[in-house]
Amino acid sequence: MKSKTVKKSIPNRYLDLEQWQTDRRKFLRGALLAGAMTQIGFFTSCSTKLKEGNDLLTAEQATILNDVLNIFFPNDGNGPDAEDINAFGYVMWVLHDTLNRKIEDNAYILVGLNWADETAQEIYFSPFVELSQEQKEALVGKFTELDWGKNWSSMIITLILEALVLDPIYGGNKNEAGWNWLNHTPGFPRPTEENRYERIMEKQMKLVK
Amino acid sequence: MADFDCDICIVGSGAGAGPIIYELSRAGYKVVVLEKGPWLKTADFTKDEMTATRRDAYTPNLEEERHIVVKKSSSGNWTEKNTADGGSDLWNGSCVGGSSNFMSAYFHRMKPNDFQLYSKYGPIDGANIVDWPIKYDDLEPYYAKVEKVIGVSGKVVDHKHQEPRSTPDYPHPPLTTNIVADWFVEGGKKEGWNIVPAARGIISEPKDDRRACYHSNYCGSYGCSSDAKASSRAALINKALKTGNCDIRPLSKVYHIATNGQNEIVKAHYYDADDNKQSVTAKIFVVACQAVETSRLLLMSKNEEFPNGLANNSGQVGKNLLFAGGGAGSGYIRFDSLSEEDRNKFDVPLTFVNQALIDFYEIDDPEFGGKAKGGTIDFLIEHSNPMPKVFRSKYKNGTLLYGSDLKENLQDYFTKQKRVRYEVFCDWLPNDDCHVSLDENVTDKWGDPVGKVKLGYHEQNLKVGNFLADKGMTVLKNIGAIKVTKSITGNPPTNLMAGGCRFGDDPKNSVLNANCQAHEVNNLYVTDGSFMPTGGSVPYTFTIYANAFRVADHLIERLGKEA
Ligand SMILES: Cc1cc2nc3c(=O)[nH]c(=O)nc-3n(C[C@H](O)[C@H](O)[C@H](O)COP(=O)(O)OP(=O)(O)OC[C@H]3O[C@@H](n4cnc5c(N)ncnc54)[C@H](O)[C@@H]3O)c2cc1C
Ligand code: SF4
Repeated sequence: MKSKTVKKSIPNRYLDLEQWQTDRRKFLRGALLAGAMTQIGFFTSCSTKLKEGNDLLTAEQATILNDVLNIFFPNDGNGPDAEDINAFGYVMWVLHDTLNRKIEDNAYILVGLNWADETAQEIYFSPFVELSQEQKEALVGKFTELDWGKNWSSMIITLILEALVLDPIYGGNKNEAGWNWLNHTPGFPRPTEENRYERIMEKQMKLVK
Repeated sequence: MADFDCDICIVGSGAGAGPIIYELSRAGYKVVVLEKGPWLKTADFTKDEMTATRRDAYTPNLEEERHIVVKKSSSGNWTEKNTADGGSDLWNGSCVGGSSNFMSAYFHRMKPNDFQLYSKYGPIDGANIVDWPIKYDDLEPYYAKVEKVIGVSGKVVDHKHQEPRSTPDYPHPPLTTNIVADWFVEGGKKEGWNIVPAARGIISEPKDDRRACYHSNYCGSYGCSSDAKASSRAALINKALKTGNCDIRPLSKVYHIATNGQNEIVKAHYYDADDNKQSVTAKIFVVACQAVETSRLLLMSKNEEFPNGLANNSGQVGKNLLFAGGGAGSGYIRFDSLSEEDRNKFDVPLTFVNQALIDFYEIDDPEFGGKAKGGTIDFLIEHSNPMPKVFRSKYKNGTLLYGSDLKENLQDYFTKQKRVRYEVFCDWLPNDDCHVSLDENVTDKWGDPVGKVKLGYHEQNLKVGNFLADKGMTVLKNIGAIKVTKSITGNPPTNLMAGGCRFGDDPKNSVLNANCQAHEVNNLYVTDGSFMPTGGSVPYTFTIYANAFRVADHLIERLGKEA
């Protein structure tokens, strides 16, 4: 089944960070609408092995995300890959962080996964998750050139890079694989459960006194 | 005292507030400090990039508290932007100690000529340049006091613009630096330039309860875990607390300062930790919320007596806002261009350089029509935190990288080179297009109007900035750096701000008198960087500290006389 094409509106902050005035609310409405549609928009054959879904992602979205992460940060014999740094787990942490993170930004991650599927349908007439590895790689490569895909890809790559070098306490950089590979010495003291970002932000926002 | 909650009420607890809190509580006066941010203690600070810069947990949530910035677009039109929509962020540190917790603490004194910019260099079209009502000699003893009390490390090496000093050297020896510091000095010598050690507001040896700097390499934007950095919290407030005279009230945001119809403040109104309305009475009120928020608070404090905002019958509050003028540039030293010995010395986790070129503090060049005010060039190594480095690796020749290309580029950036930098500081000329007002539509989470900040700059900033950046580039090239660049723009560094309530002798064109007391309000003082009519060609905090110590002496004398 071909999901209905939604207008791929890119939040301006991903178009040009220095650009003036973003119409965030309009985007959010679009993003939420798109999210709702995809819950019914997927159809996959029984033969495709899907990653498990979770409270925020359907199995299809989870699979697309995982595939995209591994294509953007592959196992190529040079340092860790997306799995080694647990990029997927890190993105899940980000999606659950609504404390000081704009819901639009989280919605944008999700809506991009849906666009990825639509683009697969447009180019290969097949859902993303049913493509061969070569097709997936070609398609994800194409994302970085498409109007909508450029900005979304850039944001996903930023998330991978965060998973590579931020403190493992947030789920990425498993076993400090990113730091070890890049010969990076972290600063000390490192965050603990008592003073990680959420605890400090809760104090800043008067949620904890 | 019975009629008042305290002798002195201070709004804000950063660099401008610290010396007042410290001196007045030690002199036996009852001090109440209203600070809008939380009270983060030393143990709360880590080197977590997520907390410090990815999610900005040391500053307010922009959805709740934002600014409107007004900038000239490339097409030349003034355009408004809400900071909650990305781009500039004008908050720098909202917690006890303010942004002084997060500064890098480059501490340069202003030079004697900076106090008389108008008399020494004359007018510049479109710039509201005036002389200060005090001279360098009036502030010198207080620079010396800052060095001693809060702790400054460095080494005085004579150069052609060395300011007069009452002490021969800094009280603490210079911090250990990376080998590249020596290379910079040599790089300057090739041109006949004298690159000299730059002082830091960081102690290199233990002092009182504070430990020496342990070279965490995560300094600017991060809180200090040894209290070596001279934040107002570590260096001053913690000591003031020991007197028993100092009451710090965190999570207390002042929203209105009320007067009695006779040019005197009676109360500061604030929202407490539970957002209930509270107030404090005091004999004297000191406002030090950082330049933008200080002007905003005064403008918000309207009443019949001050229909345009507190101390603003002159219309001067919020005017002549300053930032540090100039910019920065960088280049890369490739490890394969070095001998093994040099590489081993250079490629270590030690990022302090602490060298500056001050030879061009005054420019004598036909391009400038003779003598003109120049500035300072600081030399640095790129900060240690990895996110800016991965961002630089994300693109090659403007193309977004992914896959193996991205991984190779990352590896190259992190393991085959180091980025060396210079920062240029010149005067941000005060002008009519750089000021703070209240936005008429947008409010913060309490319903108070947010500050609207117009960010216009004077072309002279760029001219001087480029002149200095060219010198910085030459030094970088001389030490073997490649891909050397400069970036001098009119975009202000929003962490280095001053002005808005400038001091002066004439009440018609200044807000404060020479003691930083409001011309129009007998018991109001402003002691953050707002008082500065011009800021010199250096970062401002050393001067903010020194001036606040000066005002503290005046306040102690005044309260003593009134007792
Ligand atoms: C990353 C970084 C690097 C820096 N590096 C340097 C450097 O190398 N050299 C240098 O000289 N300077 C540096 N600075 C600048 C330095 O931190 C400031 O110049 C200095 O802290 C300003 O002091 P202040 O008192 O004006 O403001 P702050 O120190 O910011 O204090 C203002 C306080 O007022 C509080 N406040 C605001 N509004 C209200 C209100 N309505 N009610 C109650 N409280 C309020 C704020 O929460 C804050 O705590 C740096 C700053 C940053 C962020
Ligand atoms: S230990 Fe030294 S380098 Fe680290 S934050 Fe403190 S003063 Fe800066």
